[in-house]
Formats: sequence, C-alpha cells, structure tokens
Amino acid sequence: MFDFAGLLSGFQVALSPVNLLWCFIGCALGTAVGVLPGLGPAATIALLLPISMKMGSPVTAIILMSGIFYGAMYGGSTTSILLNMPGEAASVVTCIDGYQMAKKGRAGAALGVAAIGSFIAGTVGVIGLTMMAPPLAEFALSFGPPEYFSLTVLGLLLATYLAGASPLKGLAMAILGLILGSVGLDPLSGAVRFDFGIPDLQSNIDFVTLAMGLFGVGEILYTLEGSEAASILTTTIKNVFPTMADLARSGWAMVRGSFIGFGVGILPGGGAVLSSLISYAIERKCSKHPEEFGHGAIEGVAGPEAANNSAASSSFIPLLTLGIPGNASTAMIFAALLIQGVTPGPFLLKEHPQVFWGVVAAMYLGNVMLLILNLPLVGMWAQLLKVPYAFMAPMIMILTLVGVYSVNNSVFDIWVMLVMGVFGYMARKLKFDLGPLLLAFVLGPIMERSLRQALLMSHGSFNIFVTRPISGVLLGIAVLFVLGNLWAARRGAKQA
Amino acid sequence: MKSWQRMAGLALLIVSGVVIQQSIWVLRLLDAGQPGSGFMPFGLGVILAVLSLLIIFKNLGPDEKPVPFWPSRAWLRPLIALIIMGAYVVAFDDLGAVTSVVILVSSWLFVLEKKSVVIALGTGLATGLVVYVVFEVLLMTPFPRGILF
Repeated sequence: MFDFAGLLSGFQVALSPVNLLWCFIGCALGTAVGVLPGLGPAATIALLLPISMKMGSPVTAIILMSGIFYGAMYGGSTTSILLNMPGEAASVVTCIDGYQMAKKGRAGAALGVAAIGSFIAGTVGVIGLTMMAPPLAEFALSFGPPEYFSLTVLGLLLATYLAGASPLKGLAMAILGLILGSVGLDPLSGAVRFDFGIPDLQSNIDFVTLAMGLFGVGEILYTLEGSEAASILTTTIKNVFPTMADLARSGWAMVRGSFIGFGVGILPGGGAVLSSLISYAIERKCSKHPEEFGHGAIEGVAGPEAANNSAASSSFIPLLTLGIPGNASTAMIFAALLIQGVTPGPFLLKEHPQVFWGVVAAMYLGNVMLLILNLPLVGMWAQLLKVPYAFMAPMIMILTLVGVYSVNNSVFDIWVMLVMGVFGYMARKLKFDLGPLLLAFVLGPIMERSLRQALLMSHGSFNIFVTRPISGVLLGIAVLFVLGNLWAARRGAKQA
Repeated sequence: MKSWQRMAGLALLIVSGVVIQQSIWVLRLLDAGQPGSGFMPFGLGVILAVLSLLIIFKNLGPDEKPVPFWPSRAWLRPLIALIIMGAYVVAFDDLGAVTSVVILVSSWLFVLEKKSVVIALGTGLATGLVVYVVFEVLLMTPFPRGILF
C-alpha cells in the first residue's frame, strides 16, 4: 500500500532549507567522488562520519550520506566514458561501450543517456522503496532473535558470495570482521574480551576508526604505490542531450536495467556492481545488434547505468526495514544512524517515521538534483580530473587523522586506524575483499545477541533455529545457497 | 603471489589460534548452562582456522608465472607515508593539532610528492587554516594545544 501521508510528511522534512542544502551538498560531493577514481562512496561516507555526528539531526546526516551514495553512481560514468577508467566500481561495465562512443565523438550522447537512465532508474528505485518498505517493515515486526540470527547469517553469506571474486577469502574476512566486532565489552555478560591488558581496548573498537582505516588510509597507501597519470580524453563534449533515435534505442534498456537493479540491489552483496554486470549481459542478449556491443552500443551504457542507480535505491530497503545493510556504503549509513541514536529496522518506521520518510523524500529530490548536476554541468565535473592526486592524497589523509580524533578525542584511536590502514592496504594487495569484513563488524553484535537470546529462549537447544518457520526458511536458503555454490565450483573444476 | 597468499593464510591461522585460546582459557564458553562470552568467538575461531587452512592448501606449490609483490620498490612510498603519519601522531599532543597538520602536509608534499618548499609549505599552511576553521571553530573539536598553537 502506498503511504501517501507518510511520503507527504517526508517531503515536509526534506524540503526544509537545511535539509535541501545538505541534500544538494551530498549529491554534489557524491558526483565528485564518483568522477574521481580512487575514492569511493564508502570511503567518503567514512570520512564524513565524524562531521555527521555534530549535525544534531539524524535525518540531515542520512540525507547527506545517501546523497553521496547515489550521487557516486551518477558520477562514476563520467570517467568511464571519458577516460576508460571507472570512477566507481559500479561503472566498470560502462567503460566497455561508453569509451568507444566517446572515441567516435559521441561522448555527449553517452553521458546524456547515462544521466537520463540513472534518473529514470533512481526514480523507479525510490518508488519501489516507498511501496515495499512499509509492508516489509510490518512483516519484520514478527521477527524474534532466531529469525534475526538466521537473517544475519543469510545476509552475510550472500554479501560474501555475491560481492567478491573469492568466496573463501570473503568468508575469512567476514569471520575476521565478526571477531573484531567482539573486541571489548560483551554486551550481555559485561565481560571484557580480547583486550590483552590494553585499557583502551576495553571499550569496543569504534566503527569510524575501523572504516576510516580500512577504506581511507588503506586506499591512500594502495594508491601511493603507483602514479596514475590519467589524461582527459581530448574530445569536446558537445550536446549532452541524446537524439530521439538514441532514446528510442536505449529506452527499453533503461527500463529493464531499472528493474534488474532494483531486484538485485535488495540482496545483501548484490548491489550496484552485480546489477550492472547482469544488465549488460541481458542487454547483449536482447539487442537486435549484439555485434555492436564492445564497439559503442548505446544500450551497453543505458542498461548498466540504470541498473546501478536502481540498485543504490533498493539497497536501502533491507537497511531501513530489517536493519541489515547489504554493502559497505549502507553499512556506513547504518553506523551513522546508530551514532545518531536511531536504530534501523522494523521499528524505524514506527518510532522515527520522520527519519524514514524524510530520507525517502530526499531521495526523490536528490534524483532531480543529480539530473541537473550531471546533464548540463558534466563538463565542470570533467575538469575535476585535472586536480593532481598529489594534493588530494594528503588532504584525504588529514581528514582521516583529524576526523578519527574528533570522535572520541583519543590518540589511541588514531593508532588503531593506522594499523587498520596497513591491514586494509595488505588485504587489497592480496585481493581480500574488505566489504564482508565491514558488514560482519556491523552485523556481528546483532548476530551474537540474537544467537544467545535465542538459545536462552530454547534452553540451549539449537532446534529453535529450524523449528521456527521463518528462521528455518532463511537458514534453509543459506544452506542451499552454499551447497549450490560448492556444487557449481566443483563442476567448474571438473570441466577444467 | 602464492607464497604471499600462504603467509596470509598463516596469519589468519595464528589469529584463529589466539581467539580459540582466549575463548577457552580467559573467557567462558558456557555460563550456567547458557552460551558465555567466549561461545561465539570460539566458534568463529574454529571456522577461521578451517578457512585459513583451506587458503594455505589452495596456494601450495610454486607460481606458474611469478609476479613480484612489490614491483620496482613500490613499497617505498606507502612506507614513507606511514612514517610521516606515525610522526604526526607522536607529535600530535606536544606540538598541537594544527601545527602537526601543517608539518604533515608540508612534509608529505615535499618528501613524497617532490614539490617545491614554497608549494609544500603554502599548502600546509592553507590546510592548517582549513582544519582550524572547520574542526576547531565550526565543529568545536577540543584539539590539544601544544607548544605553538
């Protein structure tokens, strides 16, 4: 059911001058982050977490961060098309045909179709979020500890298998994240865990410290290894408005991409990257001219760009209704909500409707802002690529060092962040995906609390997880998913 | 790269060993018949041990095409950056936050990015000013004062 009253109240909140301003700042910052290679939305949101704590209003903080997240999806296509270098992971696929279109002098049409497709898909995504979230939140009210445990297990498994190249390494990172999440005070018994006699470790590792270390410091160290000197493609961007022929050819690709992205984005780990890959594959199959793919097919830009934007919107559904973030960026937003004293989940809509509907309404507005920012102003964003990374790196580093200190006024936190930064750097070198680690760190306390509460309810019997229907189904899906992947891997190994 | 993957697996195995040891000896697996504070960490430690052994076994043998982990001393710039950041943290309390920022940015640009003294110092001072305005004035973060500022 469409809750018009809720949505209207959300617009009242989102249309306040302060929230409109921060929505614009978030969208602009997100676009910039998407354009600039090396700094993704997750890292940017992590850098802004300390600042968001001082904002006072959870709605404003989340509007800013959401703007960064879906703004990056818009901006990522710019460098993909102009430089054959994805500004954001979800725009990798756009490089394939977008850059070819630019080489043929059609950069403007590619950028235009990407922006329009993103707008349509973003709108579809937000409408879907508006319609699906309230009934899902209602359903989630029937969840108890066993259901939450099973849901977190399923969510982590999906995120691990779907997001990274190596499920084995992803799973190891997820387990490590769960272990890191248990450092400090046990919330149920009050026992101190894994402090090794260090008083500062008796309080839990701060999420901001971990996130900024892994994604901020780690990213900078990794980038410092090489000197990527990208030159802007020497082409003039003329006429960003696609022709009627372009729109006729790419229209259905945008629609298909929107729905593909929406469906895949709901899954933890599904997200923008996977949805854009699936969309590209489907567009190639559906196209009347599949031979053009890889050589500048406009559907190869429209579909994936629509998919990644729609996925960005739908990934808010499990976050806001179930309290389960599906990727690193929504995990940051989850943490930001907790910092502001708002617990995402089925009670969010009941206890903080202004936060929920304010964020949803801001997403509608943000979509319009992003279309304006990305269509006529795309040339301005392309100029950002001229800023030397030599100056950006120390600025980002200062933001992490100063920002993490500002959270708890603790020098120890800075040291922890640097250690995490080295870990993040080495993990990237060794091709260990950090997304599952961050997700597990966030979900770990929920998982443990639910497990122990469920076992208390059942007097120590694990049967409770299979005898309760919803929990049983969720665990069953998790088991089937793992077995399916193992069977597929074994079959692939035999054929090889 | 296989040798590095094996080392990563070994590191994870050591972590899992520490977690299991702490869960059994320091924490409690069970508390009055119910899961104690060491219950879940113990389980996680066991799973991590299995996964790390799988990583090690999956990467046994030599590389088909050996690739240097750090080609052409690629480790040097990240190491210098870490040293500069470490020096920043050590000097943070004594020199003060803003002064430390100026020194960090200037030394970063001068040592790491080979910029001229004028550009490095100018950018450092500008960054220090921005940090002061944003964090001390607007966000009112209580930074340590230090000897200079």
